[in-house]
Formats: sequence, structure tokens, C-alpha cells
Amino acid sequence: MTMKSLSVKTISLAVAAAVALGGAMTAVAPSQASAGELAILTWEGYADSSITQKFEDETGCAISRTYVGSNDEFPAKLAAGGSIYDAVSPSLDTTGILAKMGVVEPIAIDMLPDWEDIYEGFRAHPSVAGAEGWLPPEGTVWAVPYSWGSIAWMYRSDKFDTPPDSIEIFWDPAYAGKLSIWDDKTNIYAVARYIFGRDVNVYDLSDDQLAQVRDKLIEAKPQMRKYWATAGELVNLYANGEVIFSNTWGGYQSALLIEQGIPMVEFIPKEKADGWQDAWQIVKGTPNMDCAKKFVVYMQSPHAQCQMSAVMGYSMANATAAKECLTPEMYESLHQGDWTYIDGLDFWQEPIRVDAVIETWNAVKAAQ
Amino acid sequence: MNLAQQKRLSFAALMTGPILWWILVLLVPYVIMLMISFYSKQFPFHVPDFQFGNYLKIFDDPQYFQVLLRSLKISVLVSLVTFALAYPLTYYLVFKVRSHRVRMIIYVATIIPLWVSYLLRAYTWKTILGTEGILNSFLMWIGIIDEPISLFLYNQFAMVVTMAYIFTPYMVMPLFASLEKIPRNLIEASKDLGVGRMGTFLRVTLPLSVPGILAGFTFTFCLSFGDFISPQLVGGPYSNMISNVVATQFGIAMNWPLGSALSMIMLFIVVAIITMSDRFERAGRLDLN
Repeated sequence: MTMKSLSVKTISLAVAAAVALGGAMTAVAPSQASAGELAILTWEGYADSSITQKFEDETGCAISRTYVGSNDEFPAKLAAGGSIYDAVSPSLDTTGILAKMGVVEPIAIDMLPDWEDIYEGFRAHPSVAGAEGWLPPEGTVWAVPYSWGSIAWMYRSDKFDTPPDSIEIFWDPAYAGKLSIWDDKTNIYAVARYIFGRDVNVYDLSDDQLAQVRDKLIEAKPQMRKYWATAGELVNLYANGEVIFSNTWGGYQSALLIEQGIPMVEFIPKEKADGWQDAWQIVKGTPNMDCAKKFVVYMQSPHAQCQMSAVMGYSMANATAAKECLTPEMYESLHQGDWTYIDGLDFWQEPIRVDAVIETWNAVKAAQ
Repeated sequence: MNLAQQKRLSFAALMTGPILWWILVLLVPYVIMLMISFYSKQFPFHVPDFQFGNYLKIFDDPQYFQVLLRSLKISVLVSLVTFALAYPLTYYLVFKVRSHRVRMIIYVATIIPLWVSYLLRAYTWKTILGTEGILNSFLMWIGIIDEPISLFLYNQFAMVVTMAYIFTPYMVMPLFASLEKIPRNLIEASKDLGVGRMGTFLRVTLPLSVPGILAGFTFTFCLSFGDFISPQLVGGPYSNMISNVVATQFGIAMNWPLGSALSMIMLFIVVAIITMSDRFERAGRLDLN
């Protein structure tokens, strides 16, 4: 090979490398999304096109969706930085964490036309309205309430002679490999109530209590087939005959399974069940602020609320909308404004030591 | 510009890009990860610090050690299973298949799954191994079992099967390369000198294919050791691997310092394995001379 051909070759290679490097660096630079786009981080089904179509048509904001499998993913994904998401929909045990982390914007109340129609308890909730030390500016809130429901339990009614009324079958070897629970820290709450009684404050467990819950959950492992991570995974586990009993996002997966002809029954166990409330938040510094604001306004509107309830089977945050669009039977079965039912649920709060709770659940998953 | 200068300049032009790239995407991230592994956690963030608490925790809290041991066990099993499958297959391909065409067709058919998405291949095993899956249906159809067996899916067995299937090409490729390179006259010489088939295999073919075996083991071990998809898809409650724990620390647990410390330990194990396999290979080479 002559010197000339070598140098031509080396230089062209170097140029190629430089171009590749330059290209790669452009690719890693945060892409500036143009106005009219909205990236949301949410639960499966929450931004179903039947809910959001009207919004997209009216505003021209195109929605892209990313799904989470647990509330703990919201802080994790937003802490990683970069304005990737514009709006998020955590539960009220997590909205406060995001507010304290400084990754969400306060939302002005006078911007929200449906605000007065939202249940009072929802509007005044500290995870919405803020609390001492992390109050939002006057006239704003940290989150816009959307929906609520229970972490119910469900089972295949053709597989049980006596309907279960408790989670005690976790520890019954007759059900080895036939049960499933959500891959989430909230299992700690269910088992804590089983051990320490239904009125224990599950959001402030001591190290000793957490250790007892951990051991009890490890004891239940032989009965577990799989920890489900997404709604779709749980539906498949039942549909493929793998499991017969699990917890569930009340109203959602059971409806999907009944559609497939699988006889499912939901129930609230005698140990009591968790309740959850979800709300929308706007990510701090989003370049798509206009779309994000319109979106949280829209999601509280009667149209979006009624569509959400129809698609997901969840109860609405907007009390007026619930009265308008639900049949009396639906209104009752969704427990809209049913305070005895609501008081019977243990609504999620931000745990005092959320990292200790997460670590306890991780220790259960790691155990032999 | 004289020739020497020109040579230096073109060398610099050639190497600047790759060196910058290497520093930017390999060296800098490793250094950052090493630094974070000494930081302190302060939920939901972490603060700069220099302390060994994260490493101590990994050795102190049995959950991390258990998962580390489980990952090592699974990776060794996957490597052994792929070896047991790949060696006879490759041997047959190289020494028994006469037609070059047929040999290439079988070889390509073996490694072609590499072009199919990992997720798709792992999902496929779910439909095969499930309670109402293909394997159970088949066993019930031929009458070996009356009730579906749930032991095929959502456990470590399913993980080993899935990973062994997915990583087999990584064992076949280096084995194929090293077996093909063995000069046939060495094998003929061995036979001429009255050594039987088994003796020739054990004393000529097998030792000469050691570099391929080592490369195959290193590939399959390191790939399985770092895998976190198959535990999620086909693993069960006892299937958490070290990469799942690392992913959790950087995700929901928001404990980047602990996640970095775990990653450094994984990196150390992988580098140790690669170094060891390199040493073995060199030692083998010396013996032959």
C-alpha cells in the first residue's frame, strides 16, 4: 500500500469517525419539542384515546404516552432529569414527594373551571393543597384530582368453594403457586394490617414492624406464582390459567377478564383494603406548558371524567360529572359519594419513611 | 510537510475521534459511577461524600449477597447448558458435515435467532412453558400427564432454559471458529499413531478447541450475569437477579449510590472472569508449544 492511499484512507476514516461522533452528540442533546406536543407519564389506560381524543382534536396537542407500573417510578423517572415528560398522574402518596423534590409546577386554581365540582376532601388533601414547609404559592395547588378507587382483591369464582374473605390464604400451602400480588411496596400495608390489626397506621411502621411484615411476606412466597408488574400482565396471568387470586386496581382488570369470559369476583377483605386517589401534575419547566395546562383542565372536565370512568371502571373526582353521566346503578357501584365505603378504605398517604418501605419490599423480592 | 510529519498527522486525525469517543462514553461514565458509589443516600437524592457504607451494606445485608450468589449460579448453569448443547452440534458441523453448503446453512440457522428481538424470543418461551402452554398440552395429549404441570414457567428453570436458548449462538460462534481452525492432519496423525477416536478427541481436538470454549463460556456467563429481562418475563418470586436489583436502585428505590456500588462489584466480577479466561487461554497455548 502506498503512503498516499494510506493517508487518504486514514483521513476519510477520521472524517467518518468525526461525523459519527458529531451525530451521536446531537442525538444525546435534549430535543426541543415543538409546541403542540404533550408527553405524559401515566398508568395504562389513563390516556386512552377514547378519553383524550376530544382534547387532541380541540387543542391540536399530540399526546405521547409512557406507562408506569408503580408510583415509585414517578420520582425515579423525574429525578433522572431532562424535560422528557410534561404531565404525570401519580397517586396522592407520591404527589407530595414530587412537590418536595421541586420537579412539579404549582397550578393556579383560577385556571381550573371545574375545581368547585371536585370532592371537598380531595381538594383539601395535603398532597393536593400542600402542607407546612412545602405550601404552594397562594391560590395554587400541587395537583389536580382525577380519579379514585380501591386496591381490591379478586379471585376466580370457579376455583373457590367458599368465597375468600381475607388474605390469610397467602400462608395456606393448598394454594402453592396459585396466587399473585402487585410488584409494589403497598403489599407491606396489606400484610401489616393482617398482622397488627386493621387500624394500624401503615404509613408509620417501625423498623421492627417492617421486619415482621417482611418475614411474613417471605413466608408467603411459595404461594406466589409471579409478582405482577403491569395491568396487562395480571390479565394474562389469569387468562392463561396461571393464578386464581390476587390484588387488583379495583374495577379495571376484573372487567377486562370478565369480557374474556373468566368468572372474576372482586372483594374487600376483612383486613380492610387500600384506597387510592390519582391526580395530574405538571412537570416543572416543561417546554409544552400551554398544552400541559390545557390538559389538566381537560382531565377534570365532565367529558373526560365520564370517559375515564367508562374505560377504566374507576370512580371520578368530579362529583357533579358523576351525577350527570352515571346511571343510578353505576353511581352506586362506583361508590360515588358513598362515605361509609370511602371511610372503610385506608387511603394511601405518603409513608413517613418511604425509602424504608421500598427497601422492605425489595428485601422480600430478593429473599430465597 | 515531510513524510514523518504527515504520518503523525494522519495518525492523529485517525485516532482523535475514537479516543474522544472512548473517553466520553466509557471512561467518564465509569469514573462517575465509581464516584457515586462512595456518595451518601439522602432520599430522594444523594449527596457527594467519601464513605464505604454502600459496599459494607452489600456484604452486610444478606439480601444482596443472596441475589449475587443466585446470579452466579444461574449464569454458570446457563453456560454449562449452552456448552452441552453447542459443543456436539458444532463438532458435528465442522467434522461430520461434508458439504460446505449444508454446513453453512445449519450454521446460519443456528445463529439466525440473533436477528430476532430478545423480547420476542423470551415471550415465545412463555407460550411454550405456561400452564396452558404448548409443552403441557403436548404432554397431556400423548398421555404422559393428566394435569398440567406448573413447574415449567415462572421459576429459575424457565430462566435457564430461556437464556440458554437465547445465548447458544454466542457459544456456537467461537466454538465453530476454533474447531474449524484445527488442522485435519493433526487428527489424522493421531489416528495413524494408533490412538482411538475417544483418545484423539480428548488429547487433540478438545485441547485445541479450549480457546473457543473459554470464549464461549465468557460470553454466555457475562451475558446471563447481566440479564434482567428473563427474570421479569419467565422468572417467578425467587428469580431476582443482580441486574434487577441494580435497576431497582436506580429506579424506584432512588438509591444511586448503592446501585453504583453494586454495579462496580458486577464490573469487578466480569473483569475477573475475562482476565481468568485470558490467563487460561495463554497457559493452554504454552502447553502446546
